[in-house]
Amino acid sequence: MFVAAGSAGTLMLGAGWLRAYARPLLADAVFKHGPSAARPPNKPGLWFEVLASGVVTVYVPKVEMGQGIHTVVAQLAAEELGLEPGDLKVVQAHSRHGFSANAMFTYGSSSTHTLYVTVRQAAATLREMLRLEAATQFGLASRDVVAKAGRFMGLGFTVPTLSFGEVIAAKRGVWKVPKTPALKPRAEFRHVGQSYPRVDARAKLTGTAVYGYSARLGGMLYGAVARPPRYGARLVRAVTDRAQKQPGVIAVVADLKAGFVGLAATTRTQANAAITALNLTWEGGTTLSQSELEHALSASRSGGAVLRRRGDTARVLAAPGVIEASYHTPLAAHAHLEPLAALANVTASEVEVWVSTQSPGQVERDLKAAFPGRSIRVHPTYLGGGFGRKTTQHAALEAARLSRATGTPVHVGWTREDDLQHAFYRPPTHTRFRARLEHGQVLALEQHTVSGDVIFGVQPPPGGDATIKALGFDPGVLIGQFAEYHFQAYTVVNHRLKLPIPTGPWRGLGSLANIFALESFMDELAQQARLDPLEFRLRHLPRSALGRRFKQALLTATDESGWTRSRTPGLALGLACCADVNTVVAVVSEVSVQDGRVLVERVTVAVDPGLVVNPAGARLQAVGSVVMGLSSALLERLTVTNGLVTESNFDSYPIIDMANTPPIDVHLIESGEVPFGMGEPVIGPVAASVGNAIFALTGQRLRSLPFDLQGV
Amino acid sequence: MRLVVNDREYEVRHANEALLWVLHDELGLTGTHYSCGMGKCGSCSVLVDGVVTHSCITPAASVAGRAITTIEGVATRGHRGPDELHPVQQAFLERPLQCMWCIPGHVMSAVALLERNPDPSAEEIGAAAGENLCRCGGYNTVRAVVARAAELAREQP
Repeated sequence: MFVAAGSAGTLMLGAGWLRAYARPLLADAVFKHGPSAARPPNKPGLWFEVLASGVVTVYVPKVEMGQGIHTVVAQLAAEELGLEPGDLKVVQAHSRHGFSANAMFTYGSSSTHTLYVTVRQAAATLREMLRLEAATQFGLASRDVVAKAGRFMGLGFTVPTLSFGEVIAAKRGVWKVPKTPALKPRAEFRHVGQSYPRVDARAKLTGTAVYGYSARLGGMLYGAVARPPRYGARLVRAVTDRAQKQPGVIAVVADLKAGFVGLAATTRTQANAAITALNLTWEGGTTLSQSELEHALSASRSGGAVLRRRGDTARVLAAPGVIEASYHTPLAAHAHLEPLAALANVTASEVEVWVSTQSPGQVERDLKAAFPGRSIRVHPTYLGGGFGRKTTQHAALEAARLSRATGTPVHVGWTREDDLQHAFYRPPTHTRFRARLEHGQVLALEQHTVSGDVIFGVQPPPGGDATIKALGFDPGVLIGQFAEYHFQAYTVVNHRLKLPIPTGPWRGLGSLANIFALESFMDELAQQARLDPLEFRLRHLPRSALGRRFKQALLTATDESGWTRSRTPGLALGLACCADVNTVVAVVSEVSVQDGRVLVERVTVAVDPGLVVNPAGARLQAVGSVVMGLSSALLERLTVTNGLVTESNFDSYPIIDMANTPPIDVHLIESGEVPFGMGEPVIGPVAASVGNAIFALTGQRLRSLPFDLQGV
Repeated sequence: MRLVVNDREYEVRHANEALLWVLHDELGLTGTHYSCGMGKCGSCSVLVDGVVTHSCITPAASVAGRAITTIEGVATRGHRGPDELHPVQQAFLERPLQCMWCIPGHVMSAVALLERNPDPSAEEIGAAAGENLCRCGGYNTVRAVVARAAELAREQP
């Protein structure tokens, strides 16, 4: 039913011998470079449009899911165009304009990082094109024409001037694309580094913003789709006549080969009611229970893939005095508030979709495969949250199948129940540590991580399981898996847990589980070493630029939270830190316990993402990560019953609310010249900081999420 | 059956359906959002005679003829004409949330709160806003925004 991969234990024999050395190098390379996108193309015309009317439009090649990338791109573009961000019309790139499947993929806290230089280069090139043309129109040498506040003028003159639109209106002939001019130095930035207000806020506040769930076309129908009773179950028989006769039903589509049964009706309520009238027979699939899932997580110590090996860990840990601990994180959901949704309009020649997706390229590929011969047009809409779930989704394909059958536009909006029970999930994990200390230093640390798939859960590599087994790791599980501390001897072993339930990317990928385990264990070691947790961490920082950034983040978070102050009785602090996408984070949580319940009273974050484009936006990202991290630490746990997730809505799967959200202070540190990313890194240390504070307060070490004081 | 939404009368056919879907599917008012369908998250909030109501669990027929306000109609409740944002919207424009799928709940709760209590305390703001979920984690922003909206509303004639 499921296997813990790598249990063969042949690492030191034959080809395995090579693998034992190649793997850590490969894992290092993947970890260092990250699963990063191809660099977006640098063509001014792809992302910008200037009309003779003077309207300057920027087509943003990333989707807006709340992270604020539309605003960030407007700031970057305005900086080099010499305009105010508010002068720009900010539009989502789509199939007809600005679309490039790779660049559009919005994931991994990478948007600002990958666009920071490229958007400014494209904007600067556009400005230069216009300036050269303005020189021609003035009859001046190009070196004698300057750009100022959206207008061009002769050097040393204030009149006459030409606006962008006037240059365009008078242009004759073919444009020449000049060499990209030098970019503005940081000291001259006017927009980058400012908390420019969100460009999407007004539409969202007046109910006019188009999300996947709110996309509309005249004459549209509403679709509903049948879901299997167990993961992996195969549809073998569909009796549809009773559903066909339900009020409002226009068409029922049953495609056994594609495993698809859905219907379209006049209203969504009718569609969702009629779908229960289908008589479907499913075969196979998993019958996994919660206890089987938990048993599977407790992998043996043998086997696994060694991903990092420094020094002779085994020899050091053979001596007495070894400290051991193991940590668990549960299956968890994204619980984005907008369930999956798409609107599709299929004609004889074209498939056009409006869809809430992080990966417009995936939607395009799926539709191409299912509708050969038709051209594909994808309009990414605003997303009501993504958190990784919308990197792979099939609502667009479902809506398109129903649109083809009915000849009308069809909208498919998943129910919350379908969204929670037929998703992919943050995989459950189990991490075991063994370590030895001497004079307050870690002599050796051995770490075994058992996790379900993350990246490969939704995107299996060529060759499938065989490739994963040979590789020995899932790139997503690696996030947060390697301690940045200097340990004299250090071994990291990864155990792949192949689960029959769908798992995949969740905010921060492996970060939340890995950092929870590592930073809790660091706290345990500090306690064993009788050292302050801050001092213990500082002692183990590497002597490198990264180590210095860690030190600054740790000192900032502890200073700002009053780490060294004497505490009010009943309150305690916990510290944790991490690096993710090269952004360095330290978090201090202050907790109390009331009536046997953990209350988080305050959270202090110090985060160094290199450079900050929009401080207000960056703060919201940090706060959002803290709140989602607290929700995971205190509340969220999915269970499995007979091959399906048990919880189906917010009554059985509560997420954190306002009453349980403490004050959160965010301190931004800018140590560099490049923005690294703010979407995910802060979530890593949140749970560990809370657990460490609980220990400081109560002496109880909680090693499973969500924290349960009663369960101890 | 007739519904009065944002001061406009509509004849609706699917009176037995939830108000949320009548707003969406029949009236094309999609600013009110679906998220849980069981009155647990607040994304579908509207005002019915000034009272915050979860439209996903409210049969349309039960509110026939009553004054329904959706997120699309909040701006017109301002004092200076239809283009003017309500103080709650103005305050959220200064400090927006992130994806804002949950915004109908936060806006409607705040509008209703300020109608009955122009100077709410932090506890009263928390009590009024507490049922609305926000997965982006903007709860502290909401607290500050509602306090700011109360200020703006008091400053306006």
